[in-house]
Amino acid sequence: MSTDDSDSSFIAAALPAFISEAQEQIEALEQLLLKLEDRPDDRELLDALFRCAHTVKGSAGIFGLDDVVAFTHHVETLLDQLREGKVTLSPALSTLLLQCNDQIRALVEAAQSPQDADPGAAQQRERLVAQLRAACPATAPAATADAAAPADAGMAMPIGAGRWQMSVRFGTETFRNGMDPLAILNYLRGLGTITSLVCDAAAVPALDRVDAETCHLGFDLSLDTDASREQIEAAFSFVREDCTLHLVPPGAAPQAAVPDTPVAAAQAAAVPSALTVAREPLPAAGPSTPAKPREGTAASPAADDTRYIRVQADRLDAVINMLGELVIASAGASLLARQTRQGSLIEANQQIGALVEEIRNGTLQLRMVPVGETFARFRRVVRDTASELGKDVVLDIVGGETELDKSVVERIADPLMHLVRNSLDHGLETSAQREAAGKPAQGRLTLSACHESGSILIRIVDDGRGIDRDKVLQRAWERGLVEPGTVPPDDDILRLIFEPGFSTAEKVTNLSGRGVGMDVVRRNIEALRGTVSLSSNPGQGSQVEIRLPLTLAIIDGFLVGVGPSKFIFPLDTVVEVIESRTTVTALDARGRSVVELRGRTLPVVDLRPLYALDSPPPERSSVVVIRYGHSSFGVLVDQLLGQHQTVIKPLSRMFRSLRGISGSSILGNGEVALIFDVNALGGLAASTTPAHARSLGVTQ
Amino acid sequence: MSSCLALPRELTIYTVGELRPQWLDQLAADNADPVDPWPVDGAAVEDVDAAGLQLLQSLSNSLAREQRRLQLQRPSAALAAACSALGLPGLLAHPPAQARPATKAKRAAKVKPAARKTQETT
Repeated sequence: MSTDDSDSSFIAAALPAFISEAQEQIEALEQLLLKLEDRPDDRELLDALFRCAHTVKGSAGIFGLDDVVAFTHHVETLLDQLREGKVTLSPALSTLLLQCNDQIRALVEAAQSPQDADPGAAQQRERLVAQLRAACPATAPAATADAAAPADAGMAMPIGAGRWQMSVRFGTETFRNGMDPLAILNYLRGLGTITSLVCDAAAVPALDRVDAETCHLGFDLSLDTDASREQIEAAFSFVREDCTLHLVPPGAAPQAAVPDTPVAAAQAAAVPSALTVAREPLPAAGPSTPAKPREGTAASPAADDTRYIRVQADRLDAVINMLGELVIASAGASLLARQTRQGSLIEANQQIGALVEEIRNGTLQLRMVPVGETFARFRRVVRDTASELGKDVVLDIVGGETELDKSVVERIADPLMHLVRNSLDHGLETSAQREAAGKPAQGRLTLSACHESGSILIRIVDDGRGIDRDKVLQRAWERGLVEPGTVPPDDDILRLIFEPGFSTAEKVTNLSGRGVGMDVVRRNIEALRGTVSLSSNPGQGSQVEIRLPLTLAIIDGFLVGVGPSKFIFPLDTVVEVIESRTTVTALDARGRSVVELRGRTLPVVDLRPLYALDSPPPERSSVVVIRYGHSSFGVLVDQLLGQHQTVIKPLSRMFRSLRGISGSSILGNGEVALIFDVNALGGLAASTTPAHARSLGVTQ
Repeated sequence: MSSCLALPRELTIYTVGELRPQWLDQLAADNADPVDPWPVDGAAVEDVDAAGLQLLQSLSNSLAREQRRLQLQRPSAALAAACSALGLPGLLAHPPAQARPATKAKRAAKVKPAARKTQETT
């Protein structure tokens, strides 16, 4: 049956959206649970928790994920008891709920790849369910019975050829608009036979809180009819403006779950996030549109306060890629226009260029997400890890609203996790140790983010014991990272921690110190064109700074020429350009020197010796002053070619070891320009130690 | 206090606004000496709509919050028909022997009877 096919394909297409929605809800659950620990009586939090669990259960029901529904049901029951004040939240209960949340997460993830069923997980689930039941004695037996019954009922329920599953939520204004849901249901009875009808009675607020003239009614029903979708929808035509209607046509495979858990499915329909699940995969479903469950144009705008459209990330990436090509093409066009010296053509091209830039900014904005969501996940990590280690640690999050490209956010989560665990494990002491050291018993870990000159700066600061430089040095000697007996400067000692194969953990714990540590962190961050640095005051704590580019795709560049070669600086890092003057000292072998700038010395590098460019130097050159971190340096260049929208292309494997260069870009005329990694370049300009000569590699 | 809440002749959108404070008063008065199940007389009801039933359900939910039940006595034909037609047989049915505090559980348990009743009415 074609409707069958299109429905199952609809479900398959919608599943990823459901999973991503559910993951968000689960994430929210976790955050709420953690917040609840501080404010156990907060009714709003409890309500929000219940809603989250309910949404997960409800949407899972739509997709026939019985495991998720059954398990979440128990969690929901306990949350309901909490909400009603029949059970009070204890730390143990909170831990149980967090574990259950993990379990739901695992179940949802398992839904993606159903064949990987893990029997161990099922046992664990049973154990958790038993604990959940123990936690809410009042309704425990009832809840189990309910959970078990629907599954059986679902199997037994015959699906008639003409049985429509419907879920309808009337808008709040229904009564005031003179409409009566009772009349509408009676009209439906004229179309066929309503074989089951459940009103979501729990959605009606209690008498002391209800507005008697506001409609809170919602129904789930099965209708046996040979009427068409249009005819059924016609019953709701007068309330269509503000009612939410889900119709599942006869024969849609997984909708057996709908009669099973009428309330759950119904709630799902009522919750805006669940609506997006149904709506999102539309483009993918394509021609099968008529068979998809369709909702009555999704409530009134007011009811749908979170108006988001979910877009698949790869589509967005495709747009951004095309935009990159557009930027290049537009740069090429304006170059040609300038060559023609036709005023009006140049002007027209400038206008196009400006528009392209606006589109670019707008599109990149689409990818920006606040980093706080990633940070918030660490609340749980800190809570669990600290209690596991017997430490008392509070996590501060600063600047969570700072926005960052989504792909960057995703890829820093792991390095951050490692750094946070490192701080918890190695940095922060136990309460007793802290008190003995004259510090507050509670340790403090701060995650902060802010924007700084075109990049984002993430700091992980703890007030723990700091890093023992002697121990680090000792280890470095042992591991042969440093010639035994030599003592590098302090900063370099700390940097050794990021060397491969370094780990100072006295005993290897399951948290950190597995030896795959900090060098992987550094590599991951450098792969994002970022840098990581570490500072520490013994006894007072340590601080890790991660500097990342805002986006991976396109930057504003400052184009310069050295001989025939073209280079690009990220525009945000360029402070000023000065005319070249005689250097105070002669260039050293790597082209480094200093010049005087307003009474201060400024280190400069000449790119010719540095990158072995053998064109003859020009008579006049300029110094581009670049800021990196807290210091500046100058770069000697021949020509200044101005601002340039730069689409970053990665360097091929062969050039990846090139120090100071982070990528390449294609100019409008087809030439390739290399993009500087100013931090690495700055390191080259500022370094005095031979340690950096090693990394220079390029000239050798 | 054993006075029974009597439903008016008209239980509709036009009366719910004034009924709610009355019922709240009665609930408050009754709180001194809670009666469970709480009797509600439905004999007089002639005109009923979804808004009226919603208010009745709301009352029932209030009671459920205190682990009490609403017992609808002598429902008129109009009221009984409306309850089944609106998928709220829980208001009508003689409640199950053991009082269930969790309304959700109660609702889920009644899925089947609901289906039967509606079939009868159609």
